Order: sequence, then C-alpha cells, then structure tokens
Amino acid sequence: MLYDLAIDKELEQMDEDAALKAWSAQEIQISLKDLMRPIITIDINYSANEAIDLLLANKIGAAPVVENGTLRGIFSERDVLNEILNKQVGDLDAISVKEFMIADPQTANPEDSLNTAILYMARGGYRHVPIVDTENRPLGMVSIRDVISYLVEEFPQEVLTLPPRPVRDAFKAREGA
Amino acid sequence: MDARTLSLPISTLDYKQPATVSLGSPVSIVIDMMQEGGRGCVLVVDEDEQLVGIITERDLLQHVSGQRAAPTEFKVEQVMTPDPESLRASDPIAFALNLMHLGHFRHVPLCVWDDQEEAYPIGIISTRDILEHIAIFIENQE
Repeated sequence: MLYDLAIDKELEQMDEDAALKAWSAQEIQISLKDLMRPIITIDINYSANEAIDLLLANKIGAAPVVENGTLRGIFSERDVLNEILNKQVGDLDAISVKEFMIADPQTANPEDSLNTAILYMARGGYRHVPIVDTENRPLGMVSIRDVISYLVEEFPQEVLTLPPRPVRDAFKAREGA
Repeated sequence: MDARTLSLPISTLDYKQPATVSLGSPVSIVIDMMQEGGRGCVLVVDEDEQLVGIITERDLLQHVSGQRAAPTEFKVEQVMTPDPESLRASDPIAFALNLMHLGHFRHVPLCVWDDQEEAYPIGIISTRDILEHIAIFIENQE
C-alpha cells in the first residue's frame, strides 16, 4: 500500500515536472530580437571571391547581400557548392556576388516569434532567416544553429549534463578494473 | 515536445542514409554527390568501409574556394575532417543536440561499432532533421 502510494506520488511528480518542462507555445514565442545574432553584410558590389572571403573570415554560413543598406539577397556556402564548385563560371574576382546570391530571401521581423522562423526554415528549406526592419534593412540573422542553441538552453539539465561521449563500455571497464 | 522527447532514440527521427566516398577519391566527386543529392555532407570510408572522415560544405569553402583551388587538385583526405564524433541510432536525441551545440556540428554520423571499436556508418542526423521535428510539433499546436 505504501509502495503504491509512493509510486503514485512519483508519477504525479513526473507529470508536474513534464508540465513545467513542456515546450509550450508560450515559451517558443520568444521574440527573434532576443535571439538574432549581429548582422554581417555583403555589399552588392562585392565580387564572388570577396563574398566567400567574408564568410570564411567571420566563420559564418551565410550573409545578407545589401545595396545602400537595403536587403537584396542572401549568399551562403550552399550557393558556393551548388552554383560555383565544379562549374565553369569564370573569374570569381570579376563576377559580382549578385550572380550567385538568392534574391529576395524570406525574412522575418524582430517582433516575430522563434516558431515563425522555425516554420519558415522547415517549409522553405532555409538554414538562415534575415531579420529586417520595416524598410527592409537587415538587423540580424537567425539560423538553425540558433534554434539548436535555444533548445539546449531550454533543457540544459537534459543536454548539458551529458558526458562529451556516450559511455558505451561501462561493464567492460568495470570488468577490467 | 518536452524534456522526455530528448531521451527518445535518434532512430525516432527521420535520419538520412549516408553518402560515402572512399579514401583517395578526388574532391570533385564529393561535390557532384552533394550537388546531385542535395546533401550537406559526405562521409569518407576506408577500404573496409570504416568511417574515417566527413566532408561538409564548410570544408569545401575553406579548402577549395578559400584557397582559390580547383576541386580536382584535392583528394578527400586533404579536405575532410578526420575521425568525426559519431553516435548510435539508439542513442538519445539529447546526445545529438549535445554534440551539435558543443562541437558546432551541423551533421553527426550514425554508426555501428564492431568488437574492435571500428565504426561503420549507417546514417546521418542533421540539425535540419531536428528542426523539422520541432516544426511538426509547432504545426500540431497551431
């Protein structure tokens, strides 16, 4: 009887914990302005090689392409893979980045929620969503990596307390000790 | 989605079959595979099909585009990241998140290990797979 009570109490506690931890619609509606990373932009007059160097120097996978501060496109390492590598495209120091960028990318506003950006990324197959103001000027960027980081911060107990590698041979190690 | 979801095995997600290439292959083949298959990475295996490396878009950008070189000038071993961190499909999703977050990896190979602890790739889990899992959760809430 006592055992049953203890089990019931344990299950009740687990449900309460789960409810607390449930990633409710409310929690995921954190604004993009609180998540976005500072913007690094590519000028539309850059050559393709200048744009590639900018991605490499800043260790980023994509950057918005701007003309007089206004968003015109996005250029990413995926565009390098799909449009440049293994292709006869000519002199990348002379060709403008606008030949390879994706024009008029999907954007979001700073007040939009993270779930809006997640749905844009999932439905459109995008990895990055530029955040723009009402004049279409880039303010920041949100990427799939930011979604992963948010998830980890949301559940640090479940993720960050893990060992760097799964312990696979605990029994073997014990036998040898 | 809640904390318990993170303890589910990676196999509950829709992970992809790996594309593999052998040591000694030219990088141009990897580029073809990634372009044609819409893949973000290719795994490099040795003559016994054991995992020895991974090549991602970032590796191509750094080693090929960054050096202004032709892809045919490189063998895969010159460009790959050797001995990538790998997981089992039976490991919890939290393990994949942990690696992706701490290691800044976009892809994590899924392997089986033999008695000699040699890894044989059977799949790839990506940040996109996890994103799509979350998107389904959001869509169901709407």
